[in-house]
Amino acid sequence: MKLNLLALELNAEILHAGDRFELADVKHIIASDLMSDVLVIDRPGPLIVTSLASDQTLRTADIVGACGVLVVNGKNLPSDMKSLAAEYNISLLRTSLPKFEACLKLGRALGY
Amino acid sequence: MGGSPALPIPPDQSPLVLLDLLFKMRIKDVMSSTVITVTRSQTLREAQALMKANRITGMPVAEDGRLFGIVSMDDIVSALEGGWIGEPVEQHMTRNVVVLEEDMPLSFGASYFEKYQFGRFPVLSRDNLLVGILSSRDVSAAVLIELLQEFGRLEARLPAVQTPPEASPHHILLQFSVKKYDFERAGKGTHEIKRTLTGFGIDPRLIRRAAVASYEMEMNMVLHSAGGSLSCVIDPDRVEITARDTGPGIPNVEQALEEGYTTANEWIKSLGFGAGMGLPNIRRVSDDFAIQSSTAGTQVRVAIRFPPPPAPEGKPA
Repeated sequence: MKLNLLALELNAEILHAGDRFELADVKHIIASDLMSDVLVIDRPGPLIVTSLASDQTLRTADIVGACGVLVVNGKNLPSDMKSLAAEYNISLLRTSLPKFEACLKLGRALGY
Repeated sequence: MGGSPALPIPPDQSPLVLLDLLFKMRIKDVMSSTVITVTRSQTLREAQALMKANRITGMPVAEDGRLFGIVSMDDIVSALEGGWIGEPVEQHMTRNVVVLEEDMPLSFGASYFEKYQFGRFPVLSRDNLLVGILSSRDVSAAVLIELLQEFGRLEARLPAVQTPPEASPHHILLQFSVKKYDFERAGKGTHEIKRTLTGFGIDPRLIRRAAVASYEMEMNMVLHSAGGSLSCVIDPDRVEITARDTGPGIPNVEQALEEGYTTANEWIKSLGFGAGMGLPNIRRVSDDFAIQSSTAGTQVRVAIRFPPPPAPEGKPA
């Protein structure tokens, strides 16, 4: 499913839409607050679901070639996170849903 | 130059995007505003001299902005043959001139070139004054410029396309200093390494492994060491990344290589790190892995090999 449609499904706030926002076909979700864990999981072009809202989240997303980062629990973002998302060309989304519910919705949308 | 002036933009067969462009552009934005003209009383010989000097094949006959007719190279040729080249333009010009208006969409102009076999059309203002001239060349040039801009806009919307690989890397050296607890810049070196490898057209899967190793090494130094440096050497067959810090060293390297073993405090964990996955993960993604540690500092050196193109991909260690 395309990332922009997933964003719609989750009623997520779009903080930055990268170039791949409307093109990326999301097939893999990595849900974790531990960036070390994210780095271990090898899936192409994942969407990262996390409640860790920091620059390191985006740096990790860049390293693993993620198409986007979805911040859950409506977490406040550090002020420069949006500009870093633009620099790395990674879509940045936020939802007020808790992580488990966000994952449930994502799973249903992807037909798990 | 003579030849068929028709424009290769048939209105009924051209792509919609092109027709749309032609409709959006106005004649006045495309026409030449500097118009070379002759007066009715000038001779055809004078007209010929003007055409030759300005390298044009026809021009309007006008006085004070009022259009009376048009003379073309054909009229000159006929005059030379017939022997009336010394006579006034007025007697031999074409009086029924097909004109365009400056506010018309360019699509009108394009269809006129299709409909009438003329090389150029005088352009009149709303109050019937001669304000310009439109040649098929003006139209082609304007359309080409617009299309190039349109292509530029389309290209900008494409996903980041991999830049064509440069010549294969030969001993490219990148070096970054890493400071203790400097989260502001942690990961920037890795970002740069990744970008450089991407520029060389290296397989994205290999780049990912190199980036994961590099990033973990960088984070390890930021979180656990007194600071150090990250260096990267790219060769045609491998990338080698080395992290050197200035202490305090890892007391038990064997233990640190076990998954889940961590000395990280809660604060480090709150940053999403310190799960005890760092070193094991570095070893997992690299083809060669070496670590030395003492109280004077730790050095971790890894390499990811690029398999030669024809050979099957090597098994990662």
